[in-house]
Amino acid sequence: MPSLLTRVKSKMFVFAHRRARGMLDGEYASVFRGRSLDFDDLRAYIPGDEVRDIDWKASARVGAPLIKRYVAVRRQTVLLVADTGRNMAALARGGEVKKDIAVMALGVVGYLAVRHGDNVGLVHGDAGHTAARPAKGTEGHLEQLLQSVDAAATLEAGSSDLKTQLAHISRSYATRMLLFVVADELALDEETARLLRRLQAQHEILWVQIRDAELAGEHALALDSYDVADRQAIAAALGRDAEVARDYADAVAARSEATASFMAARGIVMAQIGHSSEVVGTLFSLLERHRRAR
Amino acid sequence: MALIFWWLLPVGLAVAAGAAWLVFRSRRTADAAPVAHADRLTGLPSYQRALGRHRRWLWVLCASAVLLAGAALTAAARPAQQHSIRPEQANRDIVLCLDVSGSMVETDAAIVNVFTQLVKEFEGERIGLTIFDSSAVQVFPLTDDYELVKEQLDVARTALGLDSDNFGFFEGTYAGAGSSLIGDGLASCVTGFPKLDSEQRSRTVVLATDNLLAGTPLFTLDEAAALAQSSKVRVYAINPNGQESGKAATAAQRLQDAATATGGGYFALDNADAVSKIVGQVQSTEAARLTGAPVVSVADVPALPLVLALVGLAGMLLALWKVRP
Repeated sequence: MPSLLTRVKSKMFVFAHRRARGMLDGEYASVFRGRSLDFDDLRAYIPGDEVRDIDWKASARVGAPLIKRYVAVRRQTVLLVADTGRNMAALARGGEVKKDIAVMALGVVGYLAVRHGDNVGLVHGDAGHTAARPAKGTEGHLEQLLQSVDAAATLEAGSSDLKTQLAHISRSYATRMLLFVVADELALDEETARLLRRLQAQHEILWVQIRDAELAGEHALALDSYDVADRQAIAAALGRDAEVARDYADAVAARSEATASFMAARGIVMAQIGHSSEVVGTLFSLLERHRRAR
Repeated sequence: MALIFWWLLPVGLAVAAGAAWLVFRSRRTADAAPVAHADRLTGLPSYQRALGRHRRWLWVLCASAVLLAGAALTAAARPAQQHSIRPEQANRDIVLCLDVSGSMVETDAAIVNVFTQLVKEFEGERIGLTIFDSSAVQVFPLTDDYELVKEQLDVARTALGLDSDNFGFFEGTYAGAGSSLIGDGLASCVTGFPKLDSEQRSRTVVLATDNLLAGTPLFTLDEAAALAQSSKVRVYAINPNGQESGKAATAAQRLQDAATATGGGYFALDNADAVSKIVGQVQSTEAARLTGAPVVSVADVPALPLVLALVGLAGMLLALWKVRP
């Protein structure tokens, strides 16, 4: 089986070359509020570092900005949360299978965490079944996590219900973690809102929404399609109807707006990804916005 | 209404069912794209309306396809109209056998006159004219060349007219000894039919005579009648002397016996105007006799199924255009 993590790394490598090397690490490092007071050493400033970490005196001596580095008190834990119901085996907006984008996003964040020396765990599942993998800090472990997500999210999997996984996390974890949730364009209901409020109180939450395939309008699928939830068939011809396309665009925009305002109201940073080529860039800006949000 | 290739229907239905099954199966295995949260689209009222329209057009498409297939199949099975026709009617041969002795001329003129009218309605029938007195002369043989018939009948009518001076018309009818040799005349008329033995046709002799014999014929009337009977020629006798007595009555009685013996009929005539009525009777009796042995003719009538197929095709094209905008 080809290594999923290798694919993730190559994507990040390409991105890092286009931007400045190390930017992603800097953005990731800023996610955690907690800092120890044990000074380690100084290093050159790289974009994304916290301004308050700059050692101004040392910078003045050297003539270039320097960053104080501290030894982390304890390893942080990143919990990857993924829906691996059959919704994730459906098509994304860009025409890929949604789980490919999900694995890419989980891999990028997981790899940043491993490189930073943090532990990465995983909670995934569908409506009937939730699997939890313990947090470890090795690339091999991360590879296994990605493989298990990739293997679980098939068209034969159970129906998707992210609430089941969120409820599991709220029950099972006592420590503070970074939750990196990969969801799709689900409609947020009262139950989800309650769970998110509950989790937000304990954890940092980063929310990535993988955009579902367009069903009507200009960029709709050319093929006939069916809903993986109930196998209801959808004729592609119907999406080309002008009235339907207009109503659909309005409905999708309203839903997207509702999700965005819901997340914003709860201080959860959210990003939308429609294609795997957007993953690294979107995650970069997601981390950036998370840093600014505080 | 019958189908010539009726076995095409079950075969075609089986093929259509097989094709429908294959299409249905390929539709099921066709790679429709899996999508999630389709309620984004399916929850829209306008989508439900569009779906309703789509379904209606799909129904039209299916119904049109079934109509097209059924109508085309029916047309291919060759629907045909079966007519039973009586070809004998057109096989009728009529020989006018006219006694042109002086006493008969007026009646002859009336008969010729009636047939001049009738000939316009003939179709496939053949008509011939033989006149006799002491010997028989064939004016024209059996023919369906109605132009010639009409022309010859006109000549005969003129010649038989009261103020006629065309004695050439009667040329050759005095060759025998005597006058009104009816037996000879009838025998000549009967033997005048071509292919008496080999061809099955309806043969009729319209014999106009008063049966007042003067001389010694080769054939007596009874012998001639027997000849007609054996040749299956019906003789309809028209006698201008109606109910009379004496010699004429005996002659009339003999004529009637002779005519009825051949399967024909006998008509006594009081005045010449009644001829058309009598000929009408002869014609209708003939028609009644000829209803036997109808022959079935088969003609294809593909118009209705083909029109239905066209309607089905039009419906299909319209529905396809609507279903795939």
